[in-house]
Amino acid sequence: MNHIATIPDRDYIVRMEKITKKFGTITALSNVDFGVERGEVRALLGDNGAGKSTLIKILMGVHQPTSGQIYFEGKPVVINSPREARAIGIEAVYQDLALVNLMSISRNFFLGREMVKRIGPIHWLDIRKMNEICRKSLHDIGIEIRSASERVGSLSGGERQSVAIGRGVYFGAKVLILDEPTSALSVAETRKVLTYIANARERGLGVIFITHNVHHVYMVADSYTVIRHGQHVGTYYKGELGEDDIADLITGDREY
Amino acid sequence: MRDAHTWQEKLRRTFAYSSVAGPLLVLVVVFTLLCFVPKFFTLRSVTGIINAATLSGMLAIGVTMLMISGEFDLSVGSVMAVGGYLFGHFSMSGKPLLGLMLALLIPALLGAVNGLILVGTNIPSFIVTLGTKYLYRGLLWIISGGAMLQTVEKLGIYNVFNGRLDVINDLFKGANFRTSLFWLLGIGLIMQYVLTRTAYGNHVFSVGGNPGAARGQGVNVKRVKVVNFAITGLLGGFTGILLFSQYATVRVASGDGMELSAIAAAVVGGTLITGGYGNIFGALIGALTISTLRTGVVLMNIPFIPADNFEAVVGVTIILAVILNNWLRKRA
Repeated sequence: MNHIATIPDRDYIVRMEKITKKFGTITALSNVDFGVERGEVRALLGDNGAGKSTLIKILMGVHQPTSGQIYFEGKPVVINSPREARAIGIEAVYQDLALVNLMSISRNFFLGREMVKRIGPIHWLDIRKMNEICRKSLHDIGIEIRSASERVGSLSGGERQSVAIGRGVYFGAKVLILDEPTSALSVAETRKVLTYIANARERGLGVIFITHNVHHVYMVADSYTVIRHGQHVGTYYKGELGEDDIADLITGDREY
Repeated sequence: MRDAHTWQEKLRRTFAYSSVAGPLLVLVVVFTLLCFVPKFFTLRSVTGIINAATLSGMLAIGVTMLMISGEFDLSVGSVMAVGGYLFGHFSMSGKPLLGLMLALLIPALLGAVNGLILVGTNIPSFIVTLGTKYLYRGLLWIISGGAMLQTVEKLGIYNVFNGRLDVINDLFKGANFRTSLFWLLGIGLIMQYVLTRTAYGNHVFSVGGNPGAARGQGVNVKRVKVVNFAITGLLGGFTGILLFSQYATVRVASGDGMELSAIAAAVVGGTLITGGYGNIFGALIGALTISTLRTGVVLMNIPFIPADNFEAVVGVTIILAVILNNWLRKRA
């Protein structure tokens, strides 16, 4: 059952080995292997309750694994909090939890990493500079916004996703985690967001695309990890399996 | 988005799309209508309106900041009484500076306790501060023995915080400006600056607007909330100092109900009760609007509305002002 494509010299940015997570007597994950390589889009597939979000929360430092080891750029690491995850270059983009709708694009862009000018103890936001950098860096990865001082709430769902992706790229993320980034979007918007994901990959980032629907990710992903009931079903590279095969693995209609 | 090319556009963007547009409009309408009431548009009643708005305005500064971060403080009226009592007690026994320090420190601590209970238990702040509202007043009952403080002595320090500004009042007949107005405007300006021009202010808005997103970007949501509660407590204590400086008296029941006046000022001033949106200047305008209505209704002497039933008019205005604010915010 535990099929892992073993191609040598894979350039993993982050690798999670034999991750087990128990909550009391319940085993949420058992011996799951996962990771993402430089310049690839890795799909993390599983039905609701399969353990996708527990796995990602461990990677983000929200939970600690009961056993197992995480390697970042080859070195074993312990990630204690989302802050630590971000510090080493792991950035997550959650659909509803990425941006503050009532705040402007540039204030969101720099949230938690504001640019300030200071004279002695007095400091203030360098709003002009933040607007400029925000607009330019989004432009650089192909995202056009009308104004950086516009409120995020007035953007479409796809535009919001793209702003969050652009923010991760600008701040030097090495791994970008996207949670169902296209599930609520129109076809045209989905296409756009997939372009930004591809752009991020071209820049050498590792992109983790979490979804329960293989259809959303089949075209853009370079590899697919399927988990079911907290177990690692397998990891497959592009071309190894068809869309329907993967869908069957997610639901358990077929075993490999 | 429209770029600010012409000065008309610039004016439109800075005013029409600003969160103070609604509150200011309400105040101007209310004020203009009341100018037809005899005795209303006199220096005497206008300065009286400002003085009556100062205490709730000062409380509303902290309360607004707290509401922007998504929390309530129903205990701030009790905290204000604690601050007033500490300041009064030590001033009357010849140690006004010690009184000043304690009247700021203890209320800030009481505020921080609200915040710590909130982040420690995850009980909604509405409930936490409903409890501490009674608890803090009970504490005051214990330390004061229920006695009322009253003094006829006139200390210089009272004039610093809330004395008559005779230099100005002598120039304008009937005027009754007080020094507390400068404290209100000064602190209001500083807090508005902190909110809109500093990283901390950015965090306050994010914590109220979308706590998950704020946490995801590394903002320490709990710390922001505790600090905001402490600031609200501190300003509550300072309001107590202003109270004692003006009236030279404080009771255990002082400031009861002021917490709701402060929330009313905040929401009339455009602050969203759900967090993530608001403005200190708006809250000050809101406090002024409510105070204007009170004086106006009393002076109008309407047959159906007895003078002491001005609260009904204030209530209607709160609701209408929030409807207007919502409408303007959605258009922006």
